[in-house]
Amino acid sequence: MCLLPLVVSTGTLRIFIFANFLAIFAMSWDILSGRTGYISFGHPFLIGIAGYTTAMLTYHLGWPLYTTIPIAVVATMIGGTLFFLPALRTRGTYFALVTLAFMEVMYHSMQVVQPKLTGGTRGLSGLPTLVSGAIPNYYLSFLVMFAIGVGLWLLIRTRLGIALDAIRMDEDAVRSSGLNTTRLKLFAFMVSAMVAGIGGALYIHYLGSIAPRGIFEINFLFTILVAALLGGAGSIVGPIIGAFFLTFLLELLRPYIPGAARYLIYGVIALVLYYYAPKGIYSFVELLRIRLTGLSQAKKND
Amino acid sequence: MGQIIIQGFLLSGLYALIAVGFTMIFSVGRVLNLAYGVYIMLGGYVYFVAVQMMSLPKVPSFLFAALAGVIFGLLTYQLLVKRLQSDPIAVEIATLILAVVMQAAIIVIFSPSPRSMWPLVPGVIYVYDVAVLKNILLATVVSWVVLGGLMVFVRKTHTGRAIRAVSMDPKGAVISGIDPQRINLITWGLSGALGAIAGVFFATYTQLDPGMWVFPLITAVAVVIVGGIGSIVGSLIAAHIIGFMETITTTLIAAELRGVFTMLLIIFVLVVAPKGLFGKAEL
Repeated sequence: MCLLPLVVSTGTLRIFIFANFLAIFAMSWDILSGRTGYISFGHPFLIGIAGYTTAMLTYHLGWPLYTTIPIAVVATMIGGTLFFLPALRTRGTYFALVTLAFMEVMYHSMQVVQPKLTGGTRGLSGLPTLVSGAIPNYYLSFLVMFAIGVGLWLLIRTRLGIALDAIRMDEDAVRSSGLNTTRLKLFAFMVSAMVAGIGGALYIHYLGSIAPRGIFEINFLFTILVAALLGGAGSIVGPIIGAFFLTFLLELLRPYIPGAARYLIYGVIALVLYYYAPKGIYSFVELLRIRLTGLSQAKKND
Repeated sequence: MGQIIIQGFLLSGLYALIAVGFTMIFSVGRVLNLAYGVYIMLGGYVYFVAVQMMSLPKVPSFLFAALAGVIFGLLTYQLLVKRLQSDPIAVEIATLILAVVMQAAIIVIFSPSPRSMWPLVPGVIYVYDVAVLKNILLATVVSWVVLGGLMVFVRKTHTGRAIRAVSMDPKGAVISGIDPQRINLITWGLSGALGAIAGVFFATYTQLDPGMWVFPLITAVAVVIVGGIGSIVGSLIAAHIIGFMETITTTLIAAELRGVFTMLLIIFVLVVAPKGLFGKAEL
């Protein structure tokens, strides 16, 4: 992967960059929703907070990136917590819709509230980029994705990670064993928000602009979710696999099918794949691995 | 002032219909149908096609739209939900993907831009000196009639009582000889019909737009959260609270902020009274 820029064109590299970012977002989603089972439809909301914070700070105040990005991440964590905390009171099912509501409302309010600050419907553009050019961006996005992947993987190995998994399986059981599920969920949430914030801030500076459409949008949400789900929710590698798979699927279809119809086909494929493999590609890979290497490996995985 | 009261009341009727159609599936099947908003969207678009593109008369078109909702609901259940039923999260996700797919389909068939629909009944009527669109009045009347019919259906007919039985206790219902699959099927079809009917009116109230399935879904959720699960009265009252609040917001503040107060209300209720007004259980 490190040698990639040497063998592919800039155009393909940009696809990879997008896939890297999608992987970051997918992992961020998965840490919360894939692991605890609380499906969040509000991730674009978090990404948007990060994006807008850093965009507004650099655009209006001209602060340097190494201050605005951390501020954006913190803002995401704080802002997200404020909104999500009450939402966590709803059990899994309604949580999804409440978070969806946040995103929708953000979409509308961002266009209307203080348009001078937020850029209104058109958003802000001409934002400074961290590094320029396809190759440096590729390395940056790849590094960040890798770092986040490793970081999350280490987290999952701790008892915290196991507890989070347990919540998905049976929250009441976890609660009755004495653990404070609310605090655990909150923790998962903050990690998720932090990763989303990092990804969001960096992504906006890669793109150089931000606007309500494209961020607070169902399609964006959909892409993140499907990436995580098809790849394999509840694992670290899953969302990464899913992100790449999805990005390349979209690119593959591009020359064959015009604009709008592409999303339709793509959605149908996603639906069919999900129907037959709700656990994602990764679980399929795991299954193969167990089959091929025999029982001993399976025992070791337990 | 009178304007707000009357408009608020009218809107609330429609919202009540939307909410009831949504919660039916949850009470009976214990799953969230995120594609519910699609019934609303379908209702609107089918009516549009029938009346404005094919020039069919209004009443048959209306029934046709309702039928489209029923069919879509049944298909969704048969093809998608039945297999994934054991995993509620999978159903949520699958229905969400379905909704997005339908949105894409609408974009392909029609176009991404919103369209205005002609009102079912043009013109204005004066109620207590307040100008009210006849169309919206019709929407509210129809909503209440349908809701009333639903209540009768659920209490007096055999099937209706079977639905209630399954929503109270699926296992007990099976022991009593009810077939839960059949009941689920009927419920999904019914939910589709309700959604489509609400959708025809909703589309005339706002606009036809491929993304229009999201907002009613959120409204339905808000009504359930505020009113409380398992309570019809709660849903009705909540629908009115939300309907009035929205009307006040759009009339006095700004039209775009329509959903903001609903969202704040959701948060408020979740923090202060998670069971909702009349809820029998926490969500």
